[in-house]
Amino acid sequence: MEKTVEKTLVIQRYNPEQDQRPSQQRYQVPFDNSTSVLDALLYIQQSLDPSLAFRWSCRMAICGSCSVMVNGIPKLGCKTFLREYSGDLLLEPLAHFATEKDLVSDMTLFLQHLQAVKPYLIRQEQSAATTPATKPQPHKQTPKQLAKYRKFSSCINCGLCYAACPQFGLNPEFLGPAALTLAQRYNLDNRDQGKAERMPQLNGKNGVWGCTFVGFCSDVCPKHLDPAAAVNQGKVASATDFVIGLFKP
Amino acid sequence: MNQPKRSDEPIWWALFSAGGVCFAVVIPGLLLTIALLYPLGVLPENALNYQQVQQWLLQDWWGLAGLALAGAAICLPLFHAMHRIHHGLHDLKLSSGLLGKILCYSSASLFSALALYFWWQGLG
Ligand code: SF4
Ligand code: FES
Repeated sequence: MEKTVEKTLVIQRYNPEQDQRPSQQRYQVPFDNSTSVLDALLYIQQSLDPSLAFRWSCRMAICGSCSVMVNGIPKLGCKTFLREYSGDLLLEPLAHFATEKDLVSDMTLFLQHLQAVKPYLIRQEQSAATTPATKPQPHKQTPKQLAKYRKFSSCINCGLCYAACPQFGLNPEFLGPAALTLAQRYNLDNRDQGKAERMPQLNGKNGVWGCTFVGFCSDVCPKHLDPAAAVNQGKVASATDFVIGLFKP
Repeated sequence: MNQPKRSDEPIWWALFSAGGVCFAVVIPGLLLTIALLYPLGVLPENALNYQQVQQWLLQDWWGLAGLALAGAAICLPLFHAMHRIHHGLHDLKLSSGLLGKILCYSSASLFSALALYFWWQGLG
């Protein structure tokens, strides 16, 4: 199809080192059925305004770096198409995060929260297994055991769920949907032995209990992980941990 | 990273969840019977007469049915509602502190205690 039809993109511009406050700039972009928001941004950068800053890498909803707000809803730029919108598009950097420049958000807090829940397999006997005398054994897993956590394992760390979460917006210390989902993902993995190390983070007021089950995170997740369900499972786990804690000396 | 303090939220969440079940099952059932079917004359006229109901709730089975009803129709739904209000106040930035929490849960406790007190009185 020939690119004759044009669409208006209104983009929030902001350079904290120069500008007093963010401003909006309008761009006319030719588009067809296959033009994504990311394609439009690349067109603007290459043909209209090289100073526009935004993040991207894979173009296929895998790297999680092209997250922006489109008409107020957190979206992956490469998975969102201009054809889906009848009027103008308003593009802003992810909500609830500080802005580095234009559409580039500062994701430091997000990464810290992911780290806090130790999102990797923890094995008690690991150090012993690495001595030459004891050959490391593979950890077997049945399809049934895999199915337990699989749906929570495809997170691409895009941060859309944090931009969607009003509780993270109110309290940036809240670990948030993706981190709590990752914690649940490893806690459900039969190869993992690190649950006891993760639970204290989940049990705190900024852990699972910071969630009030709004559920918008699950609506916006581009990988359909259902982080809200994972957090609710985490609440059951934390409540169980609470009761066990009562009986432990 | 140092360990965060364990939250006492599981207690309130458990009461909230139990109350949610009551709100979803018991309350609609009660409303259907008392506020709809009975006034519409679908149930026999003396099905809910005072002596009969008092017998069921406060005398048969040591009054356990009355206790269950007070718990399921008053106490647990109260904790459910006050839990929502407590978190709603936080969302509206009206109160994020201890005061709102104490007010919410203590009023739920007070009215629950009253309900149980009246049940206890009714037994005698
Ligand atoms: S849970 Fe979904 S929305 Fe949240 S970071 Fe992972 S992929 Fe993105
Ligand atoms: S560019 Fe990688 S997810 Fe969009």
